[in-house]
Amino acid sequence: MRLYLPIFILALLGFGFASFSVFMGTRLGPKRWNRAKLESYESGIEPTPHPPGGGRIPVKYYVTAMLFIVFDIEIIFLYPWAVTFNKLGAFGLVEMVTFVITVLVAYAYVWRRGGLEWD
Amino acid sequence: MTDQGMLQHLLAAPGTEPTLASFNTEIWWMVLLKAGMVFAFLLLTTIFMIWFERRVIGRMQNRPGPNRAGPFGLLQPVADALKLPLKEDIIPRSADKLIFVIAPVISATMAFIGFSVIPWGPEVSIFHHQTPLQLADLPVAVLVILAMSSIGVYGLVLAGWASGSPYSLLGALRSAAQVISYEIAMGLAFVAVFLYAGSLSTSAIVAAQNNGWFFWELPVSFVIYLFTMVGETNRLPFDLPEGEGELVAGYHTEYSSMKFAMFYLAEYINMTTVAALATTLFLGGWRAPWPISLWSGANTGWWPLLWFLIKVFILLFGYVWLRGTLPRVRYDQLMALGWKVLIPVSIVWILFIAVIRAWKLNFNSTAIYAVAGLVFVLLIIMVMAWDEAAQQRAARNAPTEASPQPAVAGPGQPAAPAFPVPPLDLPHYHGTGVEPGNSATPAREVTGA
Amino acid sequence: MTGVLAAGTNTDSVAVETVFWILAVVAVAAALAMILVRRAVHCAIMLAVVMLCLATMYAMQGAPFLAFVQIIVYTGAVLMLFLFVIMLIGITAADSIVETIKGQRLAAGLAAIGLLVLLALGIGHAAIGPAAPPSPKYGSGNLTGIATLIFTTYVFPFEVTGALLITAALGAMVLAHRERIAPRPTQRDLAARRLASGQVVGDPPPGIYALHDSADRPALLPDGSPAASSVSSVLNPRTGTEPPQVVRPGEKPQLEAADGGEREPAPSAGSGRAES
Repeated sequence: MRLYLPIFILALLGFGFASFSVFMGTRLGPKRWNRAKLESYESGIEPTPHPPGGGRIPVKYYVTAMLFIVFDIEIIFLYPWAVTFNKLGAFGLVEMVTFVITVLVAYAYVWRRGGLEWD
Repeated sequence: MTDQGMLQHLLAAPGTEPTLASFNTEIWWMVLLKAGMVFAFLLLTTIFMIWFERRVIGRMQNRPGPNRAGPFGLLQPVADALKLPLKEDIIPRSADKLIFVIAPVISATMAFIGFSVIPWGPEVSIFHHQTPLQLADLPVAVLVILAMSSIGVYGLVLAGWASGSPYSLLGALRSAAQVISYEIAMGLAFVAVFLYAGSLSTSAIVAAQNNGWFFWELPVSFVIYLFTMVGETNRLPFDLPEGEGELVAGYHTEYSSMKFAMFYLAEYINMTTVAALATTLFLGGWRAPWPISLWSGANTGWWPLLWFLIKVFILLFGYVWLRGTLPRVRYDQLMALGWKVLIPVSIVWILFIAVIRAWKLNFNSTAIYAVAGLVFVLLIIMVMAWDEAAQQRAARNAPTEASPQPAVAGPGQPAAPAFPVPPLDLPHYHGTGVEPGNSATPAREVTGA
Repeated sequence: MTGVLAAGTNTDSVAVETVFWILAVVAVAAALAMILVRRAVHCAIMLAVVMLCLATMYAMQGAPFLAFVQIIVYTGAVLMLFLFVIMLIGITAADSIVETIKGQRLAAGLAAIGLLVLLALGIGHAAIGPAAPPSPKYGSGNLTGIATLIFTTYVFPFEVTGALLITAALGAMVLAHRERIAPRPTQRDLAARRLASGQVVGDPPPGIYALHDSADRPALLPDGSPAASSVSSVLNPRTGTEPPQVVRPGEKPQLEAADGGEREPAPSAGSGRAES
């Protein structure tokens, strides 16, 4: 509990500063209403009208996010293993190599299928 | 943490090395004081870095940089900081108002928290109280930084989404994809350090570098981390989300006034944090560099703070240097570097280091040799994959019969040149077709004045 | 909880309980809001708040590793995936209330009952039976404790996780990967294609020597006629009726117009952006 207290205090300081600044920004700045100013900025052309249902993004990002989860979980397993490496001995090494190779199978598959290519 | 845990850490550490136990017995005003110090340090570093970056980039581009406000333009960031709140705070019509306001606050707050676990020095005496020069430490301190960076991504994505503008959304998605890609390589670069230090606590990692910085033992991890720390903070040459030629300013295109300032602040604080983390994990933290470390007093008292700051600012200078030197990479190159180079190299490197370590510790098992063989095979497979990719690329780039030759044959030109040139008998080459005195006024030079 | 309570002082336990009750309220409110708000992105954010509350509770109970893993994996990775998916299927779409799956309500009801039974059993077991105290035999910090458990007692589930991760990657590829049929054009191919098309340089930029420097004003060719290709093709259908041409027939090229007078002031690009 006490270990987290300093982090919490710093978070409060940071949050307080950020929200105070943002609030002051709304108070101190001028307010000159202008229809064009409130449009989104697209380098001077008329803003793109919103398509019905909102815009869509390439499905590519889904694959990236999924791969990120896969590797994130691998990393999460690697950390406790690294810390207790000395204690686990050869057995720990063998099982982690097995695990890493299992994940690398998925990685190699995605690479071969072209899932890591960006255009 | 339980008491036994504290005790073990306490017993394990020698001398003035701070341990987790030191953080559990802090006095409340000391915590407040140190939190204030970190907060002030981060703000001052940001202000300093804005000036420093512009001056150094200016020098690199043969121009003076800001030199009007104050001596050497030192007050320029202050002027900027005063200017920003006086600008109009615009919320676009298409924006999701609440999230549009929250996003910069998330970004800035998370950036602040990350620095809390960085050690700047050993135990010192502040107002007759022994206290470690570090705000907080946890058994899993490095995870705090990773966690804060992964929440910080929300700031970007939500800002881009809430703006309701296509450039913002694209910029936000790009930055999010980039940050999460590089976060993996960054997380993998840490593993070797934890393997050597046997702990995730930052103070313990610094203590473990007593006999030599991890930079010497884990150079590959360090280099990978250097790549990822630039990618994580969206800085040049990896600042694709803000590629102004294509996406205006990326996720913060629609932001103005103090909301914009918060993103700016978050970027610089994140730079400082990852530089400080590199110092902590690989460059011995607050330990004095070699020639100075011969002096016995180098690692005591307040001196280490100086060594720490020097290392951090050298790394920050590296950022500026990169920005002054390198052009922006293409997005597919960026992702290819992250996914196809940094990640496989880190994984093989981790396994390699683990085998070396097991061999050093005499695990006395034939399994190690099997694993070593496997790692070797992996290495070969990786090299082969690269080789194949390179060959494919070469095959694609080779000039082929099929590539169409441009055929531009003007009248009187027997052979079509490789590169098309305009026909050489156009009117304005010979003055034909343009009658002199056609215009009522003599041609006036267009100066654009 | 027990470990921390036993180890900590009295004020510590009070603090832990206070934090628990605050977080409980926040978490439940966020969970309710997640169900009730209409926009999908707001739902995801509310879910993130619930996750963060859970992480804080883990931390309060003396499980820092679990707490930060919760943040990194769930808040950082899984919810980021959610956000991507939400943006994938339309960023401003409100929830559709049309039921497309047959027997959706029945299935949802059954699942809810199942979850309730599971929760009642789990919580009842913990509340009525004697809760197992944190065992000290797995080492000091809970990081080493978790490591010892994962890599000795639970090796098999750990290795099976690897297989699960393969499934995840495979599923993502099958669902979302578009196979490239033709090889990707390199920069060389693109250059060759452009040369073959006859137009080597790009379109002229709009607004050059026109009456306005706005992006929807066409450039003027040397003979004074507007170059329609200089205006982005997006603009014509969007602005609808207005043709790109602004030059009256019979007029000379507006060279003079470029250097002054009737130019409209360019709209300011941004406001308060710091130049770095």
